[in-house]
Amino acid sequence: MAAPNVMKRLDDSQHLERSRLRARLMERLQQGDAHACQELLDNIGPSLTHFLRRRVADPHELEDVYQEVFMAIFEARHTYEPGRPFEPWLFAIARNIAVDFSRKRWSRSHWEELVAELPEQSADRSNEAAPELDAVLAQLPPEQREAFSMLKLDGLSVQAAAARAGVSVGALKVRAHRAYKSLKRLIGG
Amino acid sequence: MNGTAYIVHEEHHRALVKRLSSEVTPTRPLWPVGGRLALWMMLEVGVLAWVISHTTNHFTAKLTHPVYVIELLFFAAAAIISALLALRSAIPGRTLSASAAAIAAALVLAGTIVLTIAQPMDTSNPLGDFVRTGLRCAYETVVLGTLPWLALWWLVKRGAAMEGWLSGLLVGAGALLFSFAAMRITCPIDEPLHLLTWHLLPALVVITLSTLAGAAWLRFRPRSRHRAAVD
Repeated sequence: MAAPNVMKRLDDSQHLERSRLRARLMERLQQGDAHACQELLDNIGPSLTHFLRRRVADPHELEDVYQEVFMAIFEARHTYEPGRPFEPWLFAIARNIAVDFSRKRWSRSHWEELVAELPEQSADRSNEAAPELDAVLAQLPPEQREAFSMLKLDGLSVQAAAARAGVSVGALKVRAHRAYKSLKRLIGG
Repeated sequence: MNGTAYIVHEEHHRALVKRLSSEVTPTRPLWPVGGRLALWMMLEVGVLAWVISHTTNHFTAKLTHPVYVIELLFFAAAAIISALLALRSAIPGRTLSASAAAIAAALVLAGTIVLTIAQPMDTSNPLGDFVRTGLRCAYETVVLGTLPWLALWWLVKRGAAMEGWLSGLLVGAGALLFSFAAMRITCPIDEPLHLLTWHLLPALVVITLSTLAGAAWLRFRPRSRHRAAVD
């Protein structure tokens, strides 16, 4: 029975030592020490990866969230209170970013479902006396027509289409959504 | 770094660390919560001093009534606890004490009960008078809470609130409950219907607006500046 206790104490003391080291590095980071910043980010990398892996399944998305968390830590560094444990501060930020990311992903997938609706409806109506797509598209405002064409005809991703149009992803989504609404109305859906 | 390499690409991590390390500048940590709360309370004391020096209400005579004093203290204490929690909510990893929040809510509830039963309700007032007098009180409640609200909002915004709506709620509660207490000093009317309709209700409306504003603008989000830099 004694051996596991010794192991646990050892483990605890290692954790405590690591936590103290991180807190010291964070304090030096607040003072503007670039080496401390580097050492701290390297030190927390594995723990952060482990933490995020339980919340984000996709490896590519994980990389994005990982990057966001690092930036958030950097931006919120003035909110760390010297002398207090570092990990609750770190993981609160990481959790916040992961939750934000999940929300965004949910709304994105919800939006993509919405987008996927229209062409199917159009295809179903191909035999009816629906107006030609070109003629209908011509009635849309230029930005909406461009957004629709890039996403549904050229098959670009939202990000790529936004970059090509020179607008934010959000703005492009709004344009596309308005285009779909107008098209539905024009086609009579 | 072996630990990170199996999930996050080493090159990606390196680029990120290099970029952030190159941007490090000294930053001043936030003052401790207690210090910032004291600062905010100094502002409230200033507001209170202004109210006392400008009121025509003989509130000092009312101070002999324990019920009045208890009511004032309950609302003021609830405001201070809310402000304390608001400041804590802006520090990642600082857990908000559920018992402190429960105490604040209980104080507001008890204060409301006390003010309701302390005096009989007077429904004989003409509606026009009731509204005319009341609108002025509602306006003053909001005005007295504005500066403390702005100050507390700024103090919270300086931090990194993880739950924007909660921080907004606590900021609103801190400022407006204090404003309610200040209005009990400056307003000569003690009639419960007037107090509930024109003092407490406007305070609750502003607290609700503050919660919505907090959800929209108080939640910490890293700026996209770095995102573009590392991509």
